[in-house]
Amino acid sequence: MIVLDGIIYSNSLSSINPADIESIDILKDASSTAVYGARAANGVMLITSKKGKVGKAKISYSSSYSIQNPSKNIRPMNRQELLDFVKENMWNKAYTEESGYTQVNPDFDLASWMPDSYMLNSDGTISTTDFNWWDACTRTGSILENKLSISGGNDAISYLISLGNSTQKNFLLNDDFKRNSVRINLDAKLRSWWKVGVQTSGSFVNQDGAEPILWTLITMSPLATPYNEDGTLNRSPMNVARDNPLLGSVVDDRERHNYFIGNIYSEFQLPVKGLTYRINFGNNYQVNEHYQGSMYSFGGLGEAYKQNSSTYDYTLDNIVNYSGDFGLHNIAATFVYGAFERKYSYTEAKANTFTRMTLGYNSLEQGTNQFATSDANSEAMLYQMARLNYKYNNKYLVTATLRRDGYSGFAANHKSAIFPSVALGWVVSDESFFTIPVINYLKLRGGYGISGNQTYTYSSLSKVSSGAGYVFGDGGTTVNKQELTSMANNDLMWEKTAGLNLGFDFGLLMNRISGSLEVYKTTTNDLLYAVAIPSITGFTSITSNIGEIQNKGIEFSVTSRNVASADFEWSTTFNISSNKNEIISLTGMDSDGDGKEDDLISSNLFIGQSLSAIYDYKTDGIYQLDDDIPTGYYPGTYKIHDKTGEGNITTDDKVIIGKTDPAYRIGVLNTFKYKDFSLSFFINSVQGGKNGYLGQNMSTVTQDDNSRRYNLMKERADLFWSPNNTDGIYARYINAPAFSPTSVYQDRSFIRLQDITFSYNLPKSLLSFVRIENVNFYVTGKNLLILTKWKGWDPEANYGTITYGSKTVNNGGSNYDGRPVMKSFTAGINVTF
Amino acid sequence: MKKYIFLALIAILLGACNEDKFLKETPMDFMGGDNSYSTAADFDLAINELYYLTRLEFFANSDRSIDFIYGTDLVFEGSSEKSNLLSNYSISGTIAQAHWDKLYLLIAQSNVVLTRLPKSSLTEAQQAAFVAKAKFFRGLAYRTLAYLYGGVPIELNEVTTPKTDYVRASYSETILQAIEDVKFAAEHLDDVADVKDGEVNAAAAYHLLSELYLAADQYQNAIDAATEVIGNSGLALMQNRFGSRATETPGNVYGDLFSMNNQNRSSGNKEGLFVMQFETNVSGGSSNTSYNFWDVGNYLLERHCAPQVAHFRIILSDGTQLTPFSWPIGDFTGGRGIGTAVLTVHSGTEVWSSDYENDLRNANCNIVRKFAFNNPTFKANYGSTFGDSIDLDNLPAGVTFITGLSNQSTFPGRYLCPYQVKCTTPYHHPAALYNTNTATEYDLNSTGGGTFTDQYMFRLAETYLLRAEAYLKLGNTSLAAADINVVRSRSKASSVAAANVTMDYILDERLRELGIEEKRRLTLSRTGTFYDRVTRYNSYYTSPASSADGVGFITGTNTSKYILWPIPQSAIEANKDAVLEQNPGYN
Repeated sequence: MIVLDGIIYSNSLSSINPADIESIDILKDASSTAVYGARAANGVMLITSKKGKVGKAKISYSSSYSIQNPSKNIRPMNRQELLDFVKENMWNKAYTEESGYTQVNPDFDLASWMPDSYMLNSDGTISTTDFNWWDACTRTGSILENKLSISGGNDAISYLISLGNSTQKNFLLNDDFKRNSVRINLDAKLRSWWKVGVQTSGSFVNQDGAEPILWTLITMSPLATPYNEDGTLNRSPMNVARDNPLLGSVVDDRERHNYFIGNIYSEFQLPVKGLTYRINFGNNYQVNEHYQGSMYSFGGLGEAYKQNSSTYDYTLDNIVNYSGDFGLHNIAATFVYGAFERKYSYTEAKANTFTRMTLGYNSLEQGTNQFATSDANSEAMLYQMARLNYKYNNKYLVTATLRRDGYSGFAANHKSAIFPSVALGWVVSDESFFTIPVINYLKLRGGYGISGNQTYTYSSLSKVSSGAGYVFGDGGTTVNKQELTSMANNDLMWEKTAGLNLGFDFGLLMNRISGSLEVYKTTTNDLLYAVAIPSITGFTSITSNIGEIQNKGIEFSVTSRNVASADFEWSTTFNISSNKNEIISLTGMDSDGDGKEDDLISSNLFIGQSLSAIYDYKTDGIYQLDDDIPTGYYPGTYKIHDKTGEGNITTDDKVIIGKTDPAYRIGVLNTFKYKDFSLSFFINSVQGGKNGYLGQNMSTVTQDDNSRRYNLMKERADLFWSPNNTDGIYARYINAPAFSPTSVYQDRSFIRLQDITFSYNLPKSLLSFVRIENVNFYVTGKNLLILTKWKGWDPEANYGTITYGSKTVNNGGSNYDGRPVMKSFTAGINVTF
Repeated sequence: MKKYIFLALIAILLGACNEDKFLKETPMDFMGGDNSYSTAADFDLAINELYYLTRLEFFANSDRSIDFIYGTDLVFEGSSEKSNLLSNYSISGTIAQAHWDKLYLLIAQSNVVLTRLPKSSLTEAQQAAFVAKAKFFRGLAYRTLAYLYGGVPIELNEVTTPKTDYVRASYSETILQAIEDVKFAAEHLDDVADVKDGEVNAAAAYHLLSELYLAADQYQNAIDAATEVIGNSGLALMQNRFGSRATETPGNVYGDLFSMNNQNRSSGNKEGLFVMQFETNVSGGSSNTSYNFWDVGNYLLERHCAPQVAHFRIILSDGTQLTPFSWPIGDFTGGRGIGTAVLTVHSGTEVWSSDYENDLRNANCNIVRKFAFNNPTFKANYGSTFGDSIDLDNLPAGVTFITGLSNQSTFPGRYLCPYQVKCTTPYHHPAALYNTNTATEYDLNSTGGGTFTDQYMFRLAETYLLRAEAYLKLGNTSLAAADINVVRSRSKASSVAAANVTMDYILDERLRELGIEEKRRLTLSRTGTFYDRVTRYNSYYTSPASSADGVGFITGTNTSKYILWPIPQSAIEANKDAVLEQNPGYN
């Protein structure tokens, strides 16, 4: 969660101009996140924006240009590669049996197997067309960014004005992004005891342009061309139910997202010394428009629509602060009473069947059939927090917090819950008995706290969904239907996590080396989960609170200034973290009477395993031609591990294969400075350990029409098994096997050179002539190198979602059907006056 | 003074929030379950849901609605190079789960109506009408579950707290439950002449009841229930041409039953008992000319059952391959069919042998065996050699053909085979489906493949055949023959002698009269003839050579496996507090 100037920030991080940032703090433990409530459960990034400083106005300007290309050269097959692939799909016919399917069968005529007429010439031979769809629909990506920031002030008023523009042309044709943003901060001291201020920003995003649908683009055959003989675009070039990827270029698409933020605060010095009262009123307003008109949609009859949606939320905080020094004692207390509400509204007007699309979405009444839809939802939170900070001599620190959160999405009697936490700190190095010379700073800290996690709005209600249902009689009118779609859960309440954390911060050799180590253990009770229930009830799942989950982990980070001489500096920062998640208990029942608590198999929850455990058939590779193959399986199908050893595969052979969570994460940053030059590079790694960080990576191709029709990424096609490619890891079969696993899992572990930057500051001596304070040039390379065994675009990017039982999660890793991940080179300049 | 202003400000702000009211959740764009079942209008919407779900399960659920005709004596898979029963009917496969979930959803929504009616503000009389309708659909769902899966768990109430300890009732308990529901419906629903087109009515309920009594071996009850329908003066088999194509040729009264807009009573049709309604490109009408075949909504009978004439080839003696057909053309070549469900030799040819020339149902306008060439290039170059059509009963000599994959040259094949025209609407596809980019008349869009007519769930002709079945079981073959002959004489077929009426004959008559119109799998399961009929008439499944596992269908030790569908593994796993026994042969 991002908090900007005390108000929760829901826009994207990239729209904040770095020149406007005064400081960033990261809060992780329960005690610090207690201030921000349940939405801070995964940590808080506290950003404080600059206020103008008294004195001469500061101006800073930056500009950069980046070029982006996919990090790997993966592309669909060309004509010859595709024909070779199709031949391999027919391996049992294209090669002779006697040779073990390695010698070509002279009687095999590939042309006779091609399924569609456009693939063949009139004499029955295969067409020589070799159209490069990938090149036609992709381009080198580029990003141009300009930012200007002005800040200044005097004793009474300080200001910050910032403007930014970002223009991006992304890899897929017509995937364009333009953003203009503006920020104005004002702080005024009206009286000695009264301050007011306002932070406003607007961000205007233009994403006009309909891009090709990526998965359709990949499947386009090189034997098909996008144009008809008369030069017009062919709506379905392969004469199957897939639209021409180039249609996006001739379609009228307008997509805008506008974000407005306005925060106003007022702070009063109260008559009691050290007591202040502040009121924050923050507003976020987002407006989205998506309008489109295309003569090719709706079966070529034309369809146009206008979609408008808006989200508005406000946060109102009353904050009372007290701070006082009594000798060596320092006491600070805070009390917050706040409210939050968010409302969402959506409207769509759509029409189809147009005689002409000239007016497009601006005149929907030209369409013969017109439809209107609208949606709305809202949620609210109410919270109170009391915090006490006590410091003695800056050496002993105690923080105690009590927070009460209420959220509208929980059941009627369970809307609020109380979350206490306490944190202790001890600066050991300040003690008189502490005399280890190497260690100049050592602080021990520990904390215990309870935090909550909330669900989605409306989860506890029984819902009835209604809409158009049926038409009685020929030419009759539409009548609506209503369906009871979810059961009420009158006990749905907050998920609570109790966490204990211990750690220390240290500085060695006069802070030449500094860092921290932290260990934690948290127990979550009443986990919010969609538990699977039999479809006989009419429902497939119900959101409930179940079970007890435990998380244990360790985080360590250290920064070292390895060399620190006058001209040359080298410092390294290293961090490593590891988390282990385990289900301790679920429902507490033992229905199958085996003496152990039951797992919830259809909800994918297993006692003693991680929440992210994978329960499926395990595969041992691919069956080879001369293997001993059981009934129902053939050469080229996945070999399913027969756990029970019974000789046939049943559901008893499913095992826990591993988990999708990683084992540990590592980051290393090295920075070198020589005079005015500096070089830094950052290496990031996520490792799965023995069987963690797994992602779905399964591909199959079966001998049918479609396998002779559609294109695939070349790299993926080369990984399919065949008698000529016995090392292939993807299944290629003549007949579907009796059982297919839900998926086959691959390790996503990687080591990536995420960022390398080289920068140069112009010497001050040159600049003093033109009264410029600093000029900095830099070049950066992002995502230049990766070491991984993952097959596909990228092991880290997610692609879509997958469902285990009743749980839907992000599908980890982008395989060959997913979106490319880019590597980029950027050159830029920063100037401050 | 300043102090008091500050304190006042704080007090106002703190006191301003009434927490219960502020955090109360009021849905904005959906109804809450508590207040949506009180008025008659609410229950109308709830009943419309039952129509919607029934149409979805039996017709509009993409490929899943076609599961009812595969794996029987009616059709075989033209598309895959081999059958694969092991993977199709796997316990974790889509077929087992999709139908189980949809039928139980229909039952659950019916239960909600039945449980909420007593708590609503409706009078007894108003309630009775809704109860009858809900029970009809619930009975229909339990009947279908019983035929497909055997005995299933019976749930008769709305479920308001999670229940995970269901056990399976026996087959006869499930059938008796369905009988109880449908009997109430039959006795309380309005007459077919008094309801809107497409609405459930007493005649439809009695027809279903008759079928259920047959399943329960209560033959006299089955006869009585069927008699309620047959004796209804408002119902009769159509004898003369009628409706939207009444004067078009080629055509006959049997074909008229399946032309656009001819299924409802308003168009003069007195034969339909319960007709599922489809309207094209209308909200709630399900059919849509822009849907692809994977989208839910269209009934894909044309796609599955019409041959894929695009790939049919005539090979001259010098090896030249000719393409006689353009595709997809909305004429008698079958629209945008891909030939995945090819009529077996038995259902396509053998059952017609006694009345091949005179049976109206076998006329070329109802089962196409003579395909008119429609490729202009072919017609220009070879029209003189081959004439204007190819006749499957009189193939041209001196040439060979490609009729299916692997250069198959024999008939029937996926690319050219006899097929029932009721799956398509020659020259009468929805206007929005025609491809306006080409000059070819009746050229269809790539989104074609749907069957856009209304669909008979129950038709009077089938009621006669049900009663005939009941008479046969009671040994009264002359009354059975009389009923069968009513159906046969409408189609100008010769009468059957009482001595020749057997269960096989009745099942064959169902193939003739209904064919791909009926849910064949349900009939074979109900009559207990599945194994026998498939092994005799569908060599595709029985010969090891055509089977993916090289073993074939019900050979070896497992003789009962595919007779029932497997209980889906997802249902067994979710039912964690009791065991749902799996059907024999599956693991």
